[in-house]
Amino acid sequence: MPSQLPPKENNLFKRVVKCYEQKQYKNGLKFAKQILSTPKYADHGETLAMKGLILNCLGKKEEAFDLVRRGLRNDLKSQVCWHVFGLLQRSEKKYDEAIKCYRNALKWDKDNLQILRDLSLLQIQMRDLEGYRDTRYQLLKLRPGQRASWIGYSMACHLLEDFDTALAVLEEYRKTQEVKSYDYEFSEFLLYQNSVYREAGRNKDCLEHLEKYEKQICDQVSIMEVKAIVSYNLGLKDKAEKYYRQLIDRNPSNNDYYTGLVKVLELSTDEMMANLYSEFVEKYKYSHAPKLLRLQVTSGDTFKRYVGDYIKHALRRGSPPLFLNIRPLLKDKTKAKIIEELVLDYSHNLKNHSKLLTDDENKEPPTTYLWTLFFLAQYYDHFRKLDVAMKYVEEVLDHTPTLIEGYTLQAKIYKHADNLQLAAKLMDEARSLDTADRYINSKSAKYQLKIDNIEKAEETCAMFTREGVSAIENLNEMQCMWFQTECAASFLRQGKIGEALKKCHEIDKHFTDIIEDQFDFHTYCMRKMTLKAYISMLRMEDILRSHPFYFKCAVLAIQAYVSLHDNPITETEEDTEVNSDGLTAKELKKLKSKQRRAKKKAELKEEKKADSKDTNDKKKADDNAEPKLDPKKLVQIPDPLDQAIKFLRPLQDWSAETIDTHLYAFDIYYRKGKYLLMLQSLKRARNIDSQNPQLHINIVKFALAVKAKADLNKAVSQVVETELEVLLEGMKLQEFNDNFIERNKNSIAHQSAGAEALNILNPSASDRVLQLCCNLSYDHIETELPVCAKVYKNLQKDTFGKVPESVIETYRKSCSQLFPLAAVFQDNQTASETNEVVSSLSELSVK
Amino acid sequence: MIELGDITPHNVKQLKKLNSVIFPVSYNEKFYKDVLTSGDYAKFAFYNDIIVGGVCCRVDSSDNRRRLYIMTLGCLAAYRCLGIGTVMLKHVLKLAETDGHIDSVYLHVQINNDTAMAFYKNFGFEVIETKSSYYKRIEPSDAYVLEKKLK
Repeated sequence: MPSQLPPKENNLFKRVVKCYEQKQYKNGLKFAKQILSTPKYADHGETLAMKGLILNCLGKKEEAFDLVRRGLRNDLKSQVCWHVFGLLQRSEKKYDEAIKCYRNALKWDKDNLQILRDLSLLQIQMRDLEGYRDTRYQLLKLRPGQRASWIGYSMACHLLEDFDTALAVLEEYRKTQEVKSYDYEFSEFLLYQNSVYREAGRNKDCLEHLEKYEKQICDQVSIMEVKAIVSYNLGLKDKAEKYYRQLIDRNPSNNDYYTGLVKVLELSTDEMMANLYSEFVEKYKYSHAPKLLRLQVTSGDTFKRYVGDYIKHALRRGSPPLFLNIRPLLKDKTKAKIIEELVLDYSHNLKNHSKLLTDDENKEPPTTYLWTLFFLAQYYDHFRKLDVAMKYVEEVLDHTPTLIEGYTLQAKIYKHADNLQLAAKLMDEARSLDTADRYINSKSAKYQLKIDNIEKAEETCAMFTREGVSAIENLNEMQCMWFQTECAASFLRQGKIGEALKKCHEIDKHFTDIIEDQFDFHTYCMRKMTLKAYISMLRMEDILRSHPFYFKCAVLAIQAYVSLHDNPITETEEDTEVNSDGLTAKELKKLKSKQRRAKKKAELKEEKKADSKDTNDKKKADDNAEPKLDPKKLVQIPDPLDQAIKFLRPLQDWSAETIDTHLYAFDIYYRKGKYLLMLQSLKRARNIDSQNPQLHINIVKFALAVKAKADLNKAVSQVVETELEVLLEGMKLQEFNDNFIERNKNSIAHQSAGAEALNILNPSASDRVLQLCCNLSYDHIETELPVCAKVYKNLQKDTFGKVPESVIETYRKSCSQLFPLAAVFQDNQTASETNEVVSSLSELSVK
Repeated sequence: MIELGDITPHNVKQLKKLNSVIFPVSYNEKFYKDVLTSGDYAKFAFYNDIIVGGVCCRVDSSDNRRRLYIMTLGCLAAYRCLGIGTVMLKHVLKLAETDGHIDSVYLHVQINNDTAMAFYKNFGFEVIETKSSYYKRIEPSDAYVLEKKLK
């Protein structure tokens, strides 16, 4: 069918297009109707497509797709029809499909600017970089007068690491620019151009470029930073030193500048570095950075003097972050000891003489003593000497019961002591003392989630979320991921797998949304010339799921799906769970059908509401159309392990350096019976930490699985056999385990892993298993609460076969002596005492 | 170092904490509700940015007189003798003076509280009355009434 309309209809068609562009959708539809009601043109493809496009904007998606498809069928050679179809696909976020449509459209109108621009946006969004470059080249050829054409093409080359072309195009463009006295956008352009020189490794050009255009660049810090680094790369030490010193003078609190300078000056010994830092300590008295850096490179008496000065100053100032600054030093045992002795001495002197040192001239204010006690509580908490930490924090609160930090610290200590009830109670106490502080409010909510009190957590958060909306919804909308992650963890603990998965999927969607949100920036950044920021955004989005928040969420999702695989939930099960309050089968049936009807009605109502809403706002219509996550449906899936793999993939891609990634990968592939993939995960984990306790158990499980499986494909079995020998270090399985136990004698985590492995290998060796895992005589056993708790739970769950009650009880008693505060080891009496403390605390807060 | 700050619904629980450790008497909910509406007549004392004391008064217009009554004035044990009480009391006296229509400032002190007696006498307060069995649940239960005349 020919697409050409006679003049009258053609005019109408133009008006349809115009109405669409001006968002006068109703008029647009009117004109379209006028054309289509002429019998001769009832099937006019482009008009049908345009009508569909307008309807799509009005939220009538299905009708829209119908019309556009019909239009396209009637006029396959029309760029309009293809373009419209592409736009529809794009609005559905089917970008690959949309790209195909645009390409088809271009076949019939290869120089259509609008289509080329739309196509380029999709290509960069999908990171089809080569396609993007070609499209940008087309645009540059067609519109050489536009700034965006030049920048777009050079950026495409830059992303493809074709630096020479990128730089040539940028330079051509630069030549056309007039020099004005102040032009921020041009300044951004120059910095971008410069960054391409640097990435291309052309240090000399980079430096010359900077020196030449220095006056036109507004961002002075960037200039100096680049100059310093590039001068260093070029071996221009004097220059580099000069620039670093200038930078330090501008901002003496930036660690990078100091480390940069150390590199330039080739300071090889600690003493040389200490001298350099001392120079800056003298010069910038208020700056922490050189002082803290100096503490890293000094030792013995010098260290003692410097660290003493630093701590004394901070204690006098009442600076709660003191401990955070000092903490990195505690990795060094000698330094930790020095600090401990110093501060103990201070606290002693303050208590008896109100002085930090006995020969100080003036007396200290009481707050100095307070912060000294506070520091000691943090110090002992760090080393998990929790009883000592508790003693100090109690002293803090006796001294100043209005110090909110005291309660938060006490809550934290209880958390480390595994007494979450008390921890949550205290954190809420802290919150109640300053209800305008959102930080403590969030902390309190988090602690409520740790004791699975989701309702209270929501109430707490609601004090700060928008009124009129439920807090949970608002937090989801705000992409408040910590809250959702803790919720997911809590649901998982409670066995509410569906709810947990819902939260995980919500978090996953935040990441998808963030990637989606790039779209608007492709045009915006180009227009605003924020090119450096744009490039770094693109690179950040590329690895978005490497974020620790994603890791946490993915781990929970994997655990949930794996447990779903191990214990599938059938529909009936779930339902009986919900309605188990003594109803007869008949009543139950009635109730259920009633519920179903009510639900349907509600759904219908909602749909209607969505329909009747002002649908001009396309985005809103989109959101409404998105399927809601239903916890019940999330657990009724045939392939939980495949779902788990979806969450695992990004971890393998972006968090491969974390051993947990590969341990979880094993968990999944073990259940799927995928031998090569199991092997892959074991090898990757082994490269990170060959002595990891869980890895050890996994290797043993793998070896047994291989042994049990007779019908492996020959090629696979060969690989597996060879690699298994490497994993077992040429030993027999039993020997391998004995060796592991022997080799890691001093670690309870390893010993209990060895015991677990032994139990798998030889279930009849239960005496030795118990002896291994119940042993508690290790150095620093006080830091091993999580392992002990795990062993205790394993004993209770009969993981090691039936264990006599008396053995479990003995283990519990010894542990409760080691960890007197831990709830998990408390007997009923102590537990009820704890409850009393909890309730007395709540009385206090009522009073 | 020493500063005065407002008592608000957000931090009023700190006042409860303070009072519960400083005074042997416990105050009811109404007391704390009133405090929130008394503006400058109720203040926290901050020492190095930490709340360590508080003062709460109200205007008492009985017997055809307008008098300022100090309900509580106190500071945590660890922060005594640093001039915090003085700052709070001076604040109260100044309020009373700027008001212009206040005849006197008065308060109750438990008869064995020598430090408090010395403190107030230092600012020109005088004992005008001894009330026996003023306190209900603490010993000694008698109290002095101290007053400082402004007019």
